[in-house]
Amino acid sequence: MAASCWPASGFYREKKRNCSARTAIFDGGMMKNKEGEVANRPDNTAFTQQRLPAWQPMLSAGIVIPGFLVIGLVFIGIGVALFLGSQSIQVLESDYTGLNSNTPCYECSDASKKNCTCSIEFTLTKQFDGPVFLYYGLSNFFQNHRKYGVSRDYYQLSGDTAYFKNPSDSCSPYIYDSGVPIVPCGAAANSMFNDSFRLYQLVGGTKKPVPLDGKGISWWTDYNIVFRNPPLVNGSLAAAFNGTAKPVNWAKPAYELDTSDPSNNGFMNEDFLVWMRRAALPDFRKLYRRITQGDYAAGLPVGNYSLEISYNYPVIGFGGRKKIVLSNVSWMGGKNMFLGVAYLVIGSLCIVMSLVMLIVYAKYKFPEGDS
Amino acid sequence: FACSDSLPLLTVRTQNIDTTIFFSVSDNTWEVKANCHHFHGQLRRKPFRCFRQRRNAENAVRSYRYTVLTFLPLNLYEQFQRFANIFFLLVVILQCVPAIATIPWYTTLLPLIIVLSVRGMKDLSADLARRRSDSQINSRPCDVLTPAGFTTLQWKDVCIGDVLRIHKDQIIPADLLLLCSSEPHSLCYVETADIDGETNLKYRQALSITHSELISDPAEEALSTFDGNVLCENPNNRLYSFKGDLYWRGKTHRLDIEHILLRGMVLRNTDCAYGLAIYTGSDCKILRNSGQVIVKKTQVEKDFNRVVIGIVLTLLLVAVLMAVGSGLFEYRVSPKMEVLSALGGGSTPVYRGFLAFWGYVILLSPSMPIALYITFEMIHVVHCLLIGWDLHMYWANNDTPAQARSKSLNEELGQVGHLLSDKTGTLTQNRLIFRQCCIAGDIYGLLPHQKLVHRKHPPLDLSWNPYSYGGLHFHDQRLVDRLVKQQCPQSQEFLTSLVLCHTVMSEWKNGTIRYQAASPDEEALVVAARELGWVFLSRTRDSLTINALGQTLNYELLALLDFTSDRRRMSVLVREPGGGLKLYCKGADVVILERLQKDSPHQESTARALELLGVTAIEDRLQDGVPEAISSLRQAGIKVWVLTGDKTETAVNVGYSCRLIDPDTNLLQGEEIQHNTCRCSVIVCRCGNDSTHLTSPQLSSSPIKCLLMFNKWGARFVALSNQCQSVLCCRVTPGQKAEVVRLIRKHTSSVTLAIGDGANDVNMIKTAHIGVGLCGVEGSQAVQNADFALSQFSFLCRLLLVHGHWSYYRICKFLHYFLFKTTAFALVHIWFGFFSGFSAQPLYETWFIPFYTIAYTSMPVQCLAIFEQDVSAEGCLRWAALYKTGQRRDLFSPATLAASLLYSVYTSLVLCLLPLGAFHSTALDYQTLAITVATSAVFTVTIEIIIQTRYWTKYNIAAICLSLALYFILTLIVHSKILHDKLPADFYFTGTSLNPVVWLTILLTTCTATLPSLTGLALNVVLTQSSKHRVHSMMLPTQVRRPGGFRRGGVLRHSSYAMSQGAGFGRLITSGTGLHATAPAQEGAEAAANGTKENNDKL
Repeated sequence: MAASCWPASGFYREKKRNCSARTAIFDGGMMKNKEGEVANRPDNTAFTQQRLPAWQPMLSAGIVIPGFLVIGLVFIGIGVALFLGSQSIQVLESDYTGLNSNTPCYECSDASKKNCTCSIEFTLTKQFDGPVFLYYGLSNFFQNHRKYGVSRDYYQLSGDTAYFKNPSDSCSPYIYDSGVPIVPCGAAANSMFNDSFRLYQLVGGTKKPVPLDGKGISWWTDYNIVFRNPPLVNGSLAAAFNGTAKPVNWAKPAYELDTSDPSNNGFMNEDFLVWMRRAALPDFRKLYRRITQGDYAAGLPVGNYSLEISYNYPVIGFGGRKKIVLSNVSWMGGKNMFLGVAYLVIGSLCIVMSLVMLIVYAKYKFPEGDS
Repeated sequence: FACSDSLPLLTVRTQNIDTTIFFSVSDNTWEVKANCHHFHGQLRRKPFRCFRQRRNAENAVRSYRYTVLTFLPLNLYEQFQRFANIFFLLVVILQCVPAIATIPWYTTLLPLIIVLSVRGMKDLSADLARRRSDSQINSRPCDVLTPAGFTTLQWKDVCIGDVLRIHKDQIIPADLLLLCSSEPHSLCYVETADIDGETNLKYRQALSITHSELISDPAEEALSTFDGNVLCENPNNRLYSFKGDLYWRGKTHRLDIEHILLRGMVLRNTDCAYGLAIYTGSDCKILRNSGQVIVKKTQVEKDFNRVVIGIVLTLLLVAVLMAVGSGLFEYRVSPKMEVLSALGGGSTPVYRGFLAFWGYVILLSPSMPIALYITFEMIHVVHCLLIGWDLHMYWANNDTPAQARSKSLNEELGQVGHLLSDKTGTLTQNRLIFRQCCIAGDIYGLLPHQKLVHRKHPPLDLSWNPYSYGGLHFHDQRLVDRLVKQQCPQSQEFLTSLVLCHTVMSEWKNGTIRYQAASPDEEALVVAARELGWVFLSRTRDSLTINALGQTLNYELLALLDFTSDRRRMSVLVREPGGGLKLYCKGADVVILERLQKDSPHQESTARALELLGVTAIEDRLQDGVPEAISSLRQAGIKVWVLTGDKTETAVNVGYSCRLIDPDTNLLQGEEIQHNTCRCSVIVCRCGNDSTHLTSPQLSSSPIKCLLMFNKWGARFVALSNQCQSVLCCRVTPGQKAEVVRLIRKHTSSVTLAIGDGANDVNMIKTAHIGVGLCGVEGSQAVQNADFALSQFSFLCRLLLVHGHWSYYRICKFLHYFLFKTTAFALVHIWFGFFSGFSAQPLYETWFIPFYTIAYTSMPVQCLAIFEQDVSAEGCLRWAALYKTGQRRDLFSPATLAASLLYSVYTSLVLCLLPLGAFHSTALDYQTLAITVATSAVFTVTIEIIIQTRYWTKYNIAAICLSLALYFILTLIVHSKILHDKLPADFYFTGTSLNPVVWLTILLTTCTATLPSLTGLALNVVLTQSSKHRVHSMMLPTQVRRPGGFRRGGVLRHSSYAMSQGAGFGRLITSGTGLHATAPAQEGAEAAANGTKENNDKL
């Protein structure tokens, strides 16, 4: 049935001849074949005859114009909900880079100073509803740069000790520290944010520490699936890291990241996990702690507070900024004005469109009245 | 089996081989020794001389290309000659360089492998089909002379030098030298339908020496001792010439094509023939003739190829710009940032920009539609299948469905602007019927429409005639009565002329007499004479035997002047049984009238003064539905041109009867056109734009020649004809037909479609954008060269208006959507580059990229391209004007392509920027962003296809549901714990936030991205509805069919006796068969070969 690609070679093929001219001559011009010879008759099915039952939606102005109106209204509804949701979220944001001399952390912004501490004091005139989340924010930091993103060893981070000795090349140039393999290797780990914060409520001249909860701040999948500590050697994590070097920028090796909680060490350190999860944009914030315990479980009451910052992380060199953010959350997560406004804009656009179409329709349908 | 090696020519030959100037010494270097197996076998067994091995090809044909070992390398080599494939191969290679591998190798390799394997499977199945058909051909039986006598072997066992016996109706397996046959003078008749498409018989004749020496009983005896040596030219593709000599018994005999039976011919009317195999297998002339097929490409495909090249160039340009951006970033930002400068590894910003260029080339490569070409081809194949499956284009009479032979022209069927049609056999049935005759002033016979009036008219009683086998559509008892009662000598003379003046061959088959004629009208006349009692029984070289009313008469044939299209008549000079001499002449009215005697029959006659015996009227009826089809096609805006070899009157009459020309049309005949065009006067003075007075020019060949000679006039003529309703070109040769097509192609941009049924239309069919062949009475040559094959002209209407329209509609939609979905998805990376330091950071998870192409978006668009219908088939036919969208190229033009591209740029911007805006200064991470953008992209293109689909079959719905389901399932699989545990570096995307913000962002992004398309759809609905409202308020005058009451011409105008036929057997009949020693004149063979039915001025 299928035609050959080479017609000439098909000349003498004994395929089904498309033209049965031969019969015509010897039958004295009668072309008719013997009766019942319908071998080539196509199947009479809906598919072959292109008569498949089909739904052909007939759109009319009566559907389209209200449709646009409905979409617009729905969008405006969502926009309003998002807007109100965002409005109800309290956010306290403070840049502590210390660029200006009148800012508290100006002294610490000098990169040569080690173990510098500064504190920001602020007053809450209104109850800050709980649970309150404490974020740190960085800007102009390209965590989404491709090379930064690939500069890590997934095998190493999943606890595969084979890669403790030979880290992946992708970690370059942070693979070896004077010949000793770095664990965790790569730029991402090396550049880990290392400022730390302590929050106090100033009650009558004394500093009442606000307990900061570092549990559960990382992504569930990171904590439970992606990252794994190497198997303990003689019950010791440190021994498992034996023969490896700490990332050059780190003060302490991975197994000593949290001296207060032995389970929060190595690759399972939650601050490390938060950092290792790449940000989408050069301006980002990451969760530092939650305030969920003690007197502050319901939120931060009205009063004066002091945030003590252990200032280690240099950003001024590359024009970056650091900030600390206190925020509570609603159903939609953190404050997000953009989304609400965008919904309102698109919704209004739809409504305008439906009105334009209505006008066009009316104008063309009844051009000169009902004459 | 004697085999003499002592012939001097052998030594000459071997010397030539040794000096390797083998081919230049003489033309006749191909040596064949009869019955000398080991001579030829010996040659074959020297493999190091490749050319010699080729020289003795076995008779097995091998049209398949692949073997188990060569399939993979050969097929890959073929596939990588395509630009898209080689492009993606280069991308895969680039991806192996770690420094620039922005996305891993599998993202490109996976789709590439799928594309390659789909095509590989397609090629393989086609090759297997060829292999099957090869083996079927190779295993056909044939009788070969072996020491044990004639043995039935298979075709593939035939070797050069073998003597073969061919039985009646057998196909000839190799190019043979005819040695002798069972017929007198060793004549034999062959049918060459498979070679040149002609169905009339040709004859071949053996040399007189072989005829006289090799006839023996049994045949083996003489043949097995035959030790002739044939020295002839090397294998070539010239079907109509052969040069060689037979050296036998010390004498040389000249050979030419008359002595050769070509492979593929069928032996007819001859019990058996004996031949010597000269060329076998791929050396056969017919196989040498199989040249490369020129693949026609549609304008849409060409345009789209340009778009693809444009995309690649744009991609490179964008990559350069991004590289500049990256260089600047590395120069200004990175040095300040310890991490980034360390990652840069100390290389200069320029070098890093260079790397970024390649990184972006890789990253943006998915914007080039890799799967497009294979999908495009698959869709074409399906469209072609649908054409073949259409019951409305299946003709039960000869059990033939329509056939799409070319698989790449479907959408062009929807854009045809000019239809160029042959007349005879295309518009008409080419089944000639003897309707009327006029003898001595009396008109006998009724026309079909008169038959309706005289309904009671009894069928002709021919029971008195033992030779009557039916087949006469003639109703007039008066003539029969006069003939039987022998009242009218003039009518007897008339029938005698009919039965004598022709070149028909007769044959007895199953007790009935069959006629073999060079043209259908000759046959119609002889059959009519037979039915009326004048039976042509047989003929020899110099006599004719007839039976007139039961009385067998023998006429001596003294001379026969065969029909040529120049003379347009034929004559025979016979000696009557009574001894009198008579010259009978028949021919076209014009030439006969010139030669009639001016006065009464009793005046002294000169050589030219003939007596008029009678006039015949032969009807070639229009095919069913032709007028309706032509009027539909004209409504569809297609300009119908009829190109015919007939004379003007015939063409005009056919034009009227098939509604090509309306009764009230102005006719612009040859001279007027010359006035209008050649004399540079105002062209359109008489045509005007008034639609009620359309004009149809008719051209005969001299103005055409003039038109074709001067380009300026050609342009003017085409401009003139564009104002006209239709054009008739008369007395056109096959070459001129093609020239007319070329003229239209040159001076207009419209798509031309040529339709014809005979070998004389092949030129035109090949020249036009689309060639359609009708399977008619005239063999398969037109079909062999056509892109589409139909059985009836009226099917053309459905092929164009339904299949063509749908194909155009579907393929345009398909291409736009494909372009949109690939670019919209890939361009996102450009915009994200501005936020990621131009680092070529992908915005998608790497697995998403191949799956998007393969799984998430491929099926719905295929369903769209297969099932979509804007209007039902009935609607397409009823509102033929819908077809004009294709002619105007409304659906696929630079403007629509630009709109598609702009839309995809907009979509990519929305896909990138809205999620980025929503995620700005939040704790949402890169992975969540990637999933948000990817989900939005999948939703957007899915909604776009939902908007595009107007015809929802269950397959469309299933495809869309399946695609979306696949997206979620595959995403979950790729993000699964198991895969991550196995290969953490490749499946690291585990875990993304699914909080409401993400979903709301997806919703917002999807809606915003599809908003322009939705708005366009809605505006379209609103505007067309209002315009429909307006249309309803006023009736379209052009839609109203004219009342059929008055039709000029009407049925009374039928095709006149067109004297259209090829050269008959006249030369064979008159030439002293078997006596001529020299080669016969070449033109005869040419004429028989070209077989033009509508004979032309050239011959």
